[in-house]
Amino acid sequence: MNASPFYLIAVFAAASAAAAPATDGPGACAAGGSDSPMVAAAQPAQAPVGAASAPSRFIHSTPGEEYPPYGELPKELWPFSNVEPYFRYFVTRMPFRGPGRDYPAPTDLKSLPIGLVDAPRGGANWERSVRTREGIVLAIEEANRERRPGDLPFDLIEHEGIAQWGGAANLAAQLADEKVLGYLGTIDGTDAHVALRVTLKTEIVMVNTSDPDQTLTETQIPWLIRVMPDHRQEEGRLVELMVRKLGCTRIAVLRTGDRFARVGAHQFMDFARRLGCPAVQELLFTPGATNIPYQIGAIKESQPDAIFLMGEPADIGRFAKQLRQAGITARFFGTDLMMEDAFLKNAGDAAEGTTFTFYFDPARQDPLWTGFVARYEQRWGHEPDAYAGFAYDGAQIMLHAMQLAGPNRWRIRDEVYDLDYYQGVTGWMRFDGTGSNTAPVRVVRYEHGQRVFEPQAEFVPPAFGGTVAHAP
Amino acid sequence: MKTQPSSPFAALFGLVFVLSHAPGMNASAALPETAPLPIPVVARFENFTEKDGLPAHKIHCVLKAGDGRLWLGTTNGLCVRQDNGTFRRFGIEDGLSHLTVLGIAEDPATGDLWIATMQGLSRLSGGKFTAFTQTNSGLPNNVVYGVAVAEGTVWAATAAGTGAYDIKTKAWKPYDQTNTVMNEPWCYGIAPGRGVIYLGIWAGGIVEHDPRLGTFKAYRDPDGEFHIALTADSGPIVDVTSGVAYDAGVLWQASYFGLARYDTQEATWRTWVQDKTPLVSNFINSVFAHGRIAWASTDQGVSVTNGDTWVNYQVGKDGKGVVHICRPGQPPETRTMATALSDGFVMAVWADDHEAWFATSNGLSHGLFSSPADQAALTSNP
Repeated sequence: MNASPFYLIAVFAAASAAAAPATDGPGACAAGGSDSPMVAAAQPAQAPVGAASAPSRFIHSTPGEEYPPYGELPKELWPFSNVEPYFRYFVTRMPFRGPGRDYPAPTDLKSLPIGLVDAPRGGANWERSVRTREGIVLAIEEANRERRPGDLPFDLIEHEGIAQWGGAANLAAQLADEKVLGYLGTIDGTDAHVALRVTLKTEIVMVNTSDPDQTLTETQIPWLIRVMPDHRQEEGRLVELMVRKLGCTRIAVLRTGDRFARVGAHQFMDFARRLGCPAVQELLFTPGATNIPYQIGAIKESQPDAIFLMGEPADIGRFAKQLRQAGITARFFGTDLMMEDAFLKNAGDAAEGTTFTFYFDPARQDPLWTGFVARYEQRWGHEPDAYAGFAYDGAQIMLHAMQLAGPNRWRIRDEVYDLDYYQGVTGWMRFDGTGSNTAPVRVVRYEHGQRVFEPQAEFVPPAFGGTVAHAP
Repeated sequence: MKTQPSSPFAALFGLVFVLSHAPGMNASAALPETAPLPIPVVARFENFTEKDGLPAHKIHCVLKAGDGRLWLGTTNGLCVRQDNGTFRRFGIEDGLSHLTVLGIAEDPATGDLWIATMQGLSRLSGGKFTAFTQTNSGLPNNVVYGVAVAEGTVWAATAAGTGAYDIKTKAWKPYDQTNTVMNEPWCYGIAPGRGVIYLGIWAGGIVEHDPRLGTFKAYRDPDGEFHIALTADSGPIVDVTSGVAYDAGVLWQASYFGLARYDTQEATWRTWVQDKTPLVSNFINSVFAHGRIAWASTDQGVSVTNGDTWVNYQVGKDGKGVVHICRPGQPPETRTMATALSDGFVMAVWADDHEAWFATSNGLSHGLFSSPADQAALTSNP
């Protein structure tokens, strides 16, 4: 197996599903050719397996459909909410008006290739990327098991990320050369942005499964959806809770100095300011720093009643502990990364009462989720996390689109990008005018070392008897 | 969720269109008498597709070189239109660094071509290609979105910053978020200005760089929000720049959110968005400037404007050309043409005072201009 950057074509056919549970990472999947007889050409628009047997979990948009502005957040959180702007974007979803839908299918296909851009090996997102890949592999294996005689198998064409600015652009261009019909990834916001730009030029649809950067889908490029709720959803919910329900007025921000936290924390601070509570401090730290006495001293001097922490879980867990040791009693808040064990481990008792947002309760008893957990555990030998769940869901959307559209990138795009709702193992998704999932997020609190989810009804779209209410 | 209502501007266009196409009424009868337009008008399109020898459906860029030869950047290599009208393709086997060509620039001093591709920058000099990549040169990234040559320097806009190559010294200098005012290094376009270089930055607006002084100045969206344009005419339409162009003291910004113009002499901005202005679509793939006139290539045709008068070229449902003309203070006019753009999804334009070439997602179009005296003839439906 080559080291970074590695290149792997893995064909996940029926036989591979019988493989023993594995704990390997993105680089360890066996390469090989398809194990099935090939057909001369893929048949476009073949009906997905099981499509007629159950109500569709895919609800598509109608042309010209109008969407609520600004991620469906309360108007108080909108920018310049007291005036009507000259022009409002994303009220409708940007159509793709170019040609391609009637281009003939390739006649030499031996499989239906799907691309994946992993995180760089050894980087902060590597372990999340491993779980992402596992969810995608499981979805592809299942789809290949269910395919009918004559159907082409799905292939995963996978590239390990390159830890430098612009590296994902090279990989996205390479995936185009490898003639993928669509691709999945990435976790890193910078990588996802860079790959998206290539996506527009190459006209290959991208399903992002795990980048919460809210700006990713705000570019008007109609070749991308994101299945994971973004930081706008999380931070909007969090700020409302902090200011409106808990009465916090003096909010300090402690974050890493990278792009991820800059984009996320500034959105959070904008929301807090719009609710009348501009941040009293914004302090930065270097990822991996062990002690930050200057920052802690400055925060203490500002006498906050709430501290918003953003960074890798191990870092912010360590600093939560140091903040408590410095005598700071302000309550801690954060977003999804606080869910990870590294935060709890490093924060110790300082985690008590910490409140954060997360996408869904992993203990939910919805049969789609519990069934996925069981199959995932059987395949990989350990529990899935949210990254695995969203990756599985993102892959399902891509696979479904490819089954419906056939090997035509433009028609696959239509099936992916025109989704309004999708019910995945992580719950119902609701896509806005930017193509981002705006399903309500959950509020979680650490109590006695346990993660306690605030009660909240599951979101269900109107067509399935639910309401469109944003939050309880 | 409900259906989007049509805009008043679109409705006005529609009304004029219906009137001009009503039975027994030709377009000229429904349109007011007008003076010649201050911008060129295409009288007829000639189209070229794969059937005519083009190597691909999609043409990303087009350039007419100083020697009169027409060069095309396609998804299947570089292409030149030869004297006999046929097309000759150059691919990787010829030394081109990648098949997907996103931009072409000519060195006015030597006639060399610099070619932006998805895997490096290529130079075509004396019939030979030389490839510059991030591993064999100082090119910041292999995905090169745009290229320009100015005063002995080649400027390459890449996915990880702009690279400046001094042709004489062969030295590279990178420009990114570490040594300029750009907050992101993702560069999408390059336009030489008067003594300065304009860099179109994705999520960073436009950066103006004076190479002699080593200074940088950023032009950013005043509201800083992607979801809205708070006010008109206040600055770049958005920070997500898809292309820039400069000529005759006017800087143009293309974006997927509309069009913006900066008059460098008056230091004033103007902006245009679809439905509220004559701009045919917010989704602008690129913009080309000739004199004080801009050619905006959009997903719904081309908008040509000097900022006041507009001529839009679209493809009708029947495949015929549809021309919208907007003069200041007058209702828009809609005319039909017997010929149309090869495809409405236009990637790029090259134009001078005599002709225009259109790179589209499905072929190449040649626009032959009418003389001012001929413009009235366009009002008759052929």
